[in-house]
Amino acid sequence: MSQSRGLLKKAGNSLLALILISAFIWLGFWQLDRAGEVKELQKPYQEQPIVPLSEVARPNSNLSGESVNRIVEFSGVYVAQFDAPNQVDSAGRKSDWLVALMEVDGGGYLLVLRSGVQSDLPRGDIKVTGRIFPRQYEDISEREAGKLSRLDPSLLVAQYPGDYYDGFVAANNEIRDGMELSVPRVILEPAEPSIPRYYWQHIAYVVIWWLMALVVLFLPLYGRWRERNP
Amino acid sequence: MKGVVQRFRVMALLAGVMSLLLWFVELPVVYLLDAPELEAKVKWIPFVHGYVYAVYVLTAIHFTAKARFTIKRMILFILAGTLPVLSFIAERRVSREYKF
Repeated sequence: MSQSRGLLKKAGNSLLALILISAFIWLGFWQLDRAGEVKELQKPYQEQPIVPLSEVARPNSNLSGESVNRIVEFSGVYVAQFDAPNQVDSAGRKSDWLVALMEVDGGGYLLVLRSGVQSDLPRGDIKVTGRIFPRQYEDISEREAGKLSRLDPSLLVAQYPGDYYDGFVAANNEIRDGMELSVPRVILEPAEPSIPRYYWQHIAYVVIWWLMALVVLFLPLYGRWRERNP
Repeated sequence: MKGVVQRFRVMALLAGVMSLLLWFVELPVVYLLDAPELEAKVKWIPFVHGYVYAVYVLTAIHFTAKARFTIKRMILFILAGTLPVLSFIAERRVSREYKF
């Protein structure tokens, strides 16, 4: 009876060890995959095909890492326009940007960077193609009425209540009634990841998980060694 | 044994400090605050904590094996490095138990 109980206990311990080892090894591989993803993110951005906005972003959702820098197309109606002073383009030129708030067909407001010079707000249905950028987190200029201190949709929520897309789109072109609107565009290079995510951090976790798997393997051996060498 | 104990004590203190930073600085900044600038400044914490903890585990195994602790105690010492303060408690106990 006690022998079978001992066998059962051994089998249970072995099963537990096997489950733990498998889990730790799997977690190690998972971290290895994440390290690989981080390495991919650090490579220069590879241009991808133009997609409808709805495929990569939704109102009231944070912009995912994969959506940033995608060139999207969408249409809607502009409801307001603002100056965003002291903004700097990719060439280092400082200017006041012209930023419009669009009510996108299908619902939701979206900030659209239209130009680096003054222009009238176009009326009617406009089709926009442009690159998605993450919102700006720090004020670039003083807060003033009618001006945007940074390109951040949260600044407009009180004035224009509704659902908002995260980030903003730098327009490459705007089309109304089949005609392209001719305004000088702001040149912005694809955004780099704003938070440096370390490849070696994930590798550290790989080391830990696989070390844990080794520890689980080592513990029974240690127990036996301890019994034999009291 | 003296060297083993000292190595364990140093690593226990280091792992404790890194755990405190991880739990009370890095995690709140990343998950409770919406501040990417600040987030970028604390991103080194999990990175350093990861490697410090790996070394801590090795020193804990070395020490507990040398001291012939039970498997249960060995596991507790290994886990002490994951929670804030616990590794400090382990270090205090060891320094009280092993005076050279």
